[in-house]
Amino acid sequence: MYREEFIGEFRIVEYEGYRLSGEGYAVVAVPDAGLVGVIGAGQLIKSMKLKEVGGIDSYIHLPPVAVISRGEIRLPIRIFYGEDLLLIYSEFIPSTPSIPQLARAIINYVERKGANFLILMSGLPVPNRFDLEKLRTYYIATTDYVASKVKDLDVVPFENGYLVGPYAMLLKESVNYRLNTLVLLTESYLEFPDPEASARNLEIFSKVTGKSIDVKELLEQAEVIRIRARDTMKNVVRNLAQMRKEYEYAVPLNI
Amino acid sequence: MSEFDEEFKRFLRRMRELERRTREYIEDEIRRVAEEIRSEIESVERMLSPSWSHNGYLRPLYSIRDEGSNYVLYIDLPRVDEGTIDVKFLGNKVLIRARLKEETRFSEWSGRGGEVRFNEYREVIELPFTIEPSKVKVITKKRVVKVIIPKE
Repeated sequence: MYREEFIGEFRIVEYEGYRLSGEGYAVVAVPDAGLVGVIGAGQLIKSMKLKEVGGIDSYIHLPPVAVISRGEIRLPIRIFYGEDLLLIYSEFIPSTPSIPQLARAIINYVERKGANFLILMSGLPVPNRFDLEKLRTYYIATTDYVASKVKDLDVVPFENGYLVGPYAMLLKESVNYRLNTLVLLTESYLEFPDPEASARNLEIFSKVTGKSIDVKELLEQAEVIRIRARDTMKNVVRNLAQMRKEYEYAVPLNI
Repeated sequence: MSEFDEEFKRFLRRMRELERRTREYIEDEIRRVAEEIRSEIESVERMLSPSWSHNGYLRPLYSIRDEGSNYVLYIDLPRVDEGTIDVKFLGNKVLIRARLKEETRFSEWSGRGGEVRFNEYREVIELPFTIEPSKVKVITKKRVVKVIIPKE
């Protein structure tokens, strides 16, 4: 272990020293609709050959889990790094009351590691996902700089509506830290793993950052991923129901 | 019949009506609570049991939605051979069986099911109503099955 720190009730461990260079991109992937963010992040780690440099744990807010990866003992929330990209990845979701504290700890940490541009990629659950052939991607930009990055891309602004869950808290917290934040939300299933939506988010990510990501491989592996992600998805759906994810279907009464 | 008798009869009628409504309300509430408990137990059971079996089959993810005049059941069957999807209805149960396109195993997963080879999906879904098989429509798209069950 290289370094250890505590932010609130979360313990952040680094296995080696690192700092973001260049633009300083940060991606946070946590389980949400269709596991879109987590599946996309998995491909990003593979495609960019990111190195695992740390992890986050909590004795109070996270399930008592040890992740064993290639014989190494890892923490439930994992930190990956490669030059100008920091990626925080979790297949576990903390209890609903713990999410604000976790979001605060993550945003505080990535900002101190030199992140300037935060990209959050998730699914936007739509009831007619079964019938959709072409998936639409919506975006939320917290600054004019971020908006200019997606200006000419095939994305639609998410202007009115609700976001519920961990990404909502990460977005709000990133505004407090004045980070350039881009949220990409692609139409997806809520209750089934949706690698197709992940691939669509990665295509946009690739154009925004100029990084080449192998989306073809993800699409080829889509069905295997759907099989492997079933148990994680099953557990996540229950958590999403507890945090009243269905509010996202609500039409705001007044804007 | 005196005015008092008439009034007493009306009073009795009102009491019987009140008793009937109270009984119906209590019965409805008991049914609702029983359904909630059943669904909660089912959900906990599903959470604690793995979605695969050592006997070589996988249990698919599914969801049920109320879409106005129909109940719609969605079943996720990745890697399935679509020609082998068999959906049967028996009372209030939906029986699903389908073969995978090719044998699947999670070789890099140590212990547990890591060495098991999976060949098919199997699941029995219990619904809170009886299904009329002749009225049901089944559509498959990208290895997701949509079962449309009319309410009437």
